[in-house]
Amino acid sequence: MTPKKLKNYSYYPGCSLHASGREYDISTRALFKALNIGLKEVPDWFCCGATPAHNVDELLSLSLCAKNLVLAEEVEGDLAVACAACFSRLKTTQHHLKVDDEKRAQVEKAIAGPATIAKPVKHILEILVRDLGLAKLEESVKKPLFGLKVACYYGCLLTRPPEVPELDDCEDPSIMEDLLRALGAEPVSWSHRMECCGANFTLSRPDVVLHLSDAILRSAQAAGADCVMVACPLCHGNLDIRQEAIENRSQEKYDLPIFYITQLAALAMGVDDDKLGFDSVIVDPRPMLMDKELI
Amino acid sequence: MSRIGVFVCHCGENISRTVDVERVAGEAAQLPGVAYSCDYKYMCSDPGQNLLKKALAEHNLDGVLVAACSPRMHEKTFRKAAQSAGLNPYLCDMGNIREHCSWVHEDREAATAKASDIVKLMVERVKRGKALAPITVPVTKRALVIGGGIAGIQAALDIADAGKEVILVEREPSIGGHMAQLSETFPTLDCSQCIMTPKMVDVANHPNITLYTYAEIEKVDGYIGNFQVTIRRKARSVVEDKCTGCGVCTSKCPKKKIPNEFDQNLGMRSAIYVPFPQAVPNTPVIDRENCTMFQSGKCGVCAKVCGPQAIDYEQQDTLVVEAVGAVVVATGFKLYSIDRKPEESPIKGYGEFGYGLIPDVIDGLTFERLASASGPTGGKILRPSDGKEPRQVVFIQCVGSRAREKGISYCSKICCMYTAKHTMLYRHKVHDGQAYVFYMDARTPGKGYDEFWRRAVEVEDAVYIRGMVSRLYQRDGKIVVMGSDTLVGVQVEIEADLVVLATAVQAQDGADLLAQKLGISYDKYNFYSEAHAKLKPVECATAGIYLAGACQGPKDIPDTVSQASAAAAKVITLFSKDQLERDPVVAKVNEKYCVGCLQCKKVCPYGAVEEKEIRDRQGNLVKVVANVNAGVCGGCGTCQATCPSKSVELDGYTDEQIMAMIEAL
Repeated sequence: MTPKKLKNYSYYPGCSLHASGREYDISTRALFKALNIGLKEVPDWFCCGATPAHNVDELLSLSLCAKNLVLAEEVEGDLAVACAACFSRLKTTQHHLKVDDEKRAQVEKAIAGPATIAKPVKHILEILVRDLGLAKLEESVKKPLFGLKVACYYGCLLTRPPEVPELDDCEDPSIMEDLLRALGAEPVSWSHRMECCGANFTLSRPDVVLHLSDAILRSAQAAGADCVMVACPLCHGNLDIRQEAIENRSQEKYDLPIFYITQLAALAMGVDDDKLGFDSVIVDPRPMLMDKELI
Repeated sequence: MSRIGVFVCHCGENISRTVDVERVAGEAAQLPGVAYSCDYKYMCSDPGQNLLKKALAEHNLDGVLVAACSPRMHEKTFRKAAQSAGLNPYLCDMGNIREHCSWVHEDREAATAKASDIVKLMVERVKRGKALAPITVPVTKRALVIGGGIAGIQAALDIADAGKEVILVEREPSIGGHMAQLSETFPTLDCSQCIMTPKMVDVANHPNITLYTYAEIEKVDGYIGNFQVTIRRKARSVVEDKCTGCGVCTSKCPKKKIPNEFDQNLGMRSAIYVPFPQAVPNTPVIDRENCTMFQSGKCGVCAKVCGPQAIDYEQQDTLVVEAVGAVVVATGFKLYSIDRKPEESPIKGYGEFGYGLIPDVIDGLTFERLASASGPTGGKILRPSDGKEPRQVVFIQCVGSRAREKGISYCSKICCMYTAKHTMLYRHKVHDGQAYVFYMDARTPGKGYDEFWRRAVEVEDAVYIRGMVSRLYQRDGKIVVMGSDTLVGVQVEIEADLVVLATAVQAQDGADLLAQKLGISYDKYNFYSEAHAKLKPVECATAGIYLAGACQGPKDIPDTVSQASAAAAKVITLFSKDQLERDPVVAKVNEKYCVGCLQCKKVCPYGAVEEKEIRDRQGNLVKVVANVNAGVCGGCGTCQATCPSKSVELDGYTDEQIMAMIEAL
């Protein structure tokens, strides 16, 4: 018999988590299982529109998110979102439809139904740090990440614009650092935790991405970090997949593993490292973790 | 039977566009007690007023109702006209069919019906009106000025020069305020101390000015012409009458490593100190929290070395009560702190600029002290961390101002100009240094102001970058400034040696508490509210209290001085009369019915109700009743609504009048 869940959440993984960012999805599920929190995927969900939709057609972007939020109503529990971009789009849609009746009417016409989208949308960080709480989290740690120096990288979307995500101070947040301390790790103080990695310019202007992401890795390394922790699959792609190209461009050696929040959290909760997708990233974190005797 | 005249105004088209004024006048003529009615395009104009006067005489009217705009606008006008035609002015009333009717409705039919209703019920009020005589109160011809910065000093000197006595109260040990801290002033670059300190000395020497420094307002009672102000004189631990200002105590004090607030904590001072050499009065004060004698009881050096024996460790705060007729509030401003803000504050602070943790990120006032010849560096621009001369200085404007997401939406007004000045001062002292300015807009209206800013750009080679800064961080002994140049459309990164933040101007700490003591209103940022943004810019809504300087909103020195002189002129005008006339719409107690429950005393927001004992001829107490001080009563009617025995009434708004109005509907 499975024990009763502490709490249940509905879950919107988003496209990346089923493709290039599958480690994020795998580790999120593993973490929730380890913490005995229910996580049920929203049936029949589809793309939130990400960055392209709202650049081309705002109504399309809002309608895609609104429809997904309506679908989420079918599953019990607040909506858990891991991807920072999906989180931002879903929260932005809630915000716009709350303050703008005209937009709400247009969206309701587009999705052919009422936009019942008030269900709280929560980022995984919020669920861990606020809903579960740092004390409870600390209690649940089985393998503390002692000695691991982590550069917490927030990127652009997790806290901005100030009126939308309501996650933390938009320019000086601390939620990732708070989480890491509870896990036993050591967040480093560094300069580039809120800067842009270049995001989806990775396809059209890789030169821009190499430039911006280089500055982030350089700053993390200068601050003495062993690794970088991210909340967004696109940031992960730019810092991990492009890391070799960045190194070639700048003639620097970084060799910095890039972790998702959930990978480090699940590791601390005692989840087996071969269940966290460490084999499907470019900069293999395992040698460093072994070095630190964390796996 | 009454003989009321009803005059319906078109207000150009303001009323007649929505209200059928002719019909309103026609219907008014049918009301019982109305002897005359008409409509006219502009009742407030000369011909309109003449129409009223003529009708009063010709139709032998005993009451007038003008249905027009708000009484706040023209009640005085029409009462004056009625009075000149021989009617008691309080028998002339207004019905508001503009703000309360034509401006807020679209349906002409319904608006006309409502206007007729307003006329109908106001006629009932006028019918039951009483002839009233204005109340006169004596005026104490002394003024209180709160705050000894340039605003308070200017107001105090102007009032004193007009021959009236002034009490000037300053919270700090010296007068001078922020202006005394400045190096040079825009747009002429004259030395702030050179123009400020003579005025400070004038205050000290003026026979009509009583100066209380290191003192705060404890309590304010009374009303226009008759305030009683209790002032707390904080214990200086130095007897002012004995001290000669020789300075031996400050030089011998063994505790010398206390950050000097006047130098924005750049320099050090002793525990017994004078804030700056030109301080007025030149009397030291002991900072008890940092004094070894007060903390451990062991020292006493200053008392030993003081020739005139002016040191008094036992001195206590004293309370002084002063009677004044008018108050000028000139409490000034503070700068938005670049440190982290307390959690409960709506002001968020700048984590992205390091919350004041980077030593070479300073605010504008700190730069003033660096540039000041009397400052901690003797006027050399040296950065705080290592005392080196900065080669590149970045100035960032609008830090905190115009930043709704940080909690402040207003423009601080002075920063564009003082930043331009800072770039020039820097250039004049470090000839090969480069100044950069990040700005949103350069706002430089004012005489000679735009020319001044252009000079900074064109002659003094400051590089202005239109864009905001996203982050400051330290790298290899430099401060990396990450910003954007929105005119070129590129991101900018500058390695600066020193960064100066033009932080927002905010109301002084405790501005709200002082406002509550004075009974004046303030906005959500704690800036004091003027009675009218355009037409009463120095008056408070509370009679007899005036505003000067940045306590009312961000202001530069020229504007502050202008407003201070204006406030002084208002005070002098008030003092030009021996008696003040005020509106007789005040509460009166019917002592026969009053049972002395004093509910009215509890609810009166003006503190106008007092107890009155009624005694028989033998001196035996018959009963206690409420008594309203007509000078203090604000005429709000709260007592009338509260009184359980219906024995207190507002003249002009009696129960009888109000019930008749309701019944007329």
